Amino acid sequence: MKREIRIAIPSKGRLKQPSIQVLHRAGLNILVEKRAYISKTSNPRFEAVFARAFDVPVYVHYGAVDLGITGHDLILEREADVYELLDLGFGNCQLVVAAPENSKICSINDVPAVARVATEYPNLSRKYFEGLGRQVEILEIRGTSELAPKLGVAQIIVDISSTGETLRKNKLRVIACILESTCRLTCNKIAYRTFENEINGFLDRLRRGGSQ
Amino acid sequence: MFTRLRTPKGTRDHSPEELEHYRYIENKLREIFELWGYQEVRSPTIEFVEALSTGVGPELVDSTFKFQDFDGKILALRAEMTAPVARIVTTRMVTVPEPIRLFYVSNVFRYSQFYVERGREFWQAGVELIGCNTSDADGEILSLLISSLGKLGLKEVRVDVGHASLLRDLLKATGLDEKKKGILQSLLAYRDETRLEKFMDQNIFASKLKEVFLQFSCCRKLDEVSSISIGSPKYGKAGDHLRNLLEVQDVLADCGVEDSVFFDFSLTRRIEYYTGMVFEASVPNLGLPLGGGGRYNDFIERFGKLRLPATGFALEVERCIQALKAQGFQIPEKRKTKVLVSSKFRNMAIEAANVLRDAGVVVLIDVTKDDEKKIRDYAKLAGIGYVVFVDSSLKKPAMVYDVRSDTSENVTIGAFLQQIGGQL
Repeated sequence: MKREIRIAIPSKGRLKQPSIQVLHRAGLNILVEKRAYISKTSNPRFEAVFARAFDVPVYVHYGAVDLGITGHDLILEREADVYELLDLGFGNCQLVVAAPENSKICSINDVPAVARVATEYPNLSRKYFEGLGRQVEILEIRGTSELAPKLGVAQIIVDISSTGETLRKNKLRVIACILESTCRLTCNKIAYRTFENEINGFLDRLRRGGSQ
Repeated sequence: MFTRLRTPKGTRDHSPEELEHYRYIENKLREIFELWGYQEVRSPTIEFVEALSTGVGPELVDSTFKFQDFDGKILALRAEMTAPVARIVTTRMVTVPEPIRLFYVSNVFRYSQFYVERGREFWQAGVELIGCNTSDADGEILSLLISSLGKLGLKEVRVDVGHASLLRDLLKATGLDEKKKGILQSLLAYRDETRLEKFMDQNIFASKLKEVFLQFSCCRKLDEVSSISIGSPKYGKAGDHLRNLLEVQDVLADCGVEDSVFFDFSLTRRIEYYTGMVFEASVPNLGLPLGGGGRYNDFIERFGKLRLPATGFALEVERCIQALKAQGFQIPEKRKTKVLVSSKFRNMAIEAANVLRDAGVVVLIDVTKDDEKKIRDYAKLAGIGYVVFVDSSLKKPAMVYDVRSDTSENVTIGAFLQQIGGQL
């Protein structure tokens, strides 16, 4: 008997509920226990692990969990070498560059030569600006990067935006889109080899559940 | 602060216990590689950056440690061993008949490029089979890999094989621009079949080519590849590459290891020089591959002299240890009984030590000149089996203290040797 298959699910934030629902539609119910990081599911072969969406790619990369639900943007940011078996069709967002509405920065070309960028995505930001041949100083922050321009600590931010509402509320304007992202079912490459049949069966159920 | 107490990021010390695990893997692999006729080579830890960066691709070059020599030339720490071996073959082994079989056990160094932090110094054990372009050579490398991992004690080893040129030629046959080829390759690498199909539909693939891509990405065994017909000359040398894979499968069947080998169309390695089959070895209990390799036919000629096809693999020693531990394998420890010899007469202690050492016993001579009690206490704490207190002559019985049973008895050295003979 092979060991259980572990699937990591975002423990909070906008991806959590849709993740639980997509699993539910695929017939996998999480038997939630309060404050438990690891939960049993309705399928004895699957075990659910709650983790920060940001950390899911890393856990999958190392094989600490076999499967994981997380954003494509986060997989790229953490440079995890994993399979992205399925686009789960929710969590649509864009990784954007934004500047205060009242600033003179209306496009990437307006970004000053010594700009500081506040972001939760230092890796993708660095690559993006390097790719454009622009030098910026990356300021890695956790959570609300929208605050940084207000405090004057950064001129622009790189953050995800799904509806644009948070940016508007904070009087920020999108000046460029770095990438489009959705939520993915990721899989450790070796776990896929080990559990291919079971994982493919699970994928079929996810695809069928998703189309209902 | 405190830099004198730390080692730099990504490096670490190895305790005697850890090192014993390393030695187990290294020595076992050496033994197997030698049995297969491979000879060990060693290259300098530092080399000129040109020698190490030729043909390995930008990703590896970026992660190579570089620094300046006194005369201004740029030096680098080796980031992998295939380039040094290629240089050695080109410069030192011109008259050696081919095929040449070489192996190495070396530490390599890489800047961590990944968000996911890795060690910056790690040990690799690998082989290169140089000067032969047959499927038999490919098959030998794969079966040596499987055999090596099995001999280490690993179970359920599997090797996934892809083909660098097969993938390259088929991507080229799509006629897509570089950007779209990149997307197609990443969809294959993601194993996202839904989006793969959608992408191919949107980019108007010839239905035949579309079918070929889908069939390949579903193939899991090397022999299943034979059912895919790609007769079209438009697909570069795809037909030849397929034949190569099928021949490799035949070799593996003759070696009796075909059940451990799988096909993975999307498999690519992060190093650029591969031209033929590429592969990765893994076990189910560890989420990262143990190592891998492939065929590199155009690499050695970049060093300017010899045009030699070659194939090889490298294993990461640390990952092999992790995999063994994950499988609950007890790495055999060289638990030899240790004997501490003490005497008021130094020459007698030395003589007794010599007799015991000649018989293969591990002997420590007491150098502390402490009293008997302290010496016994030390022996208890230091994992020593027996303390032998030698008198003024070896002919006289020595007092032997058995640490485990905490008892002493008077016996001659000869009798003691016989007594512990079974524990050697």
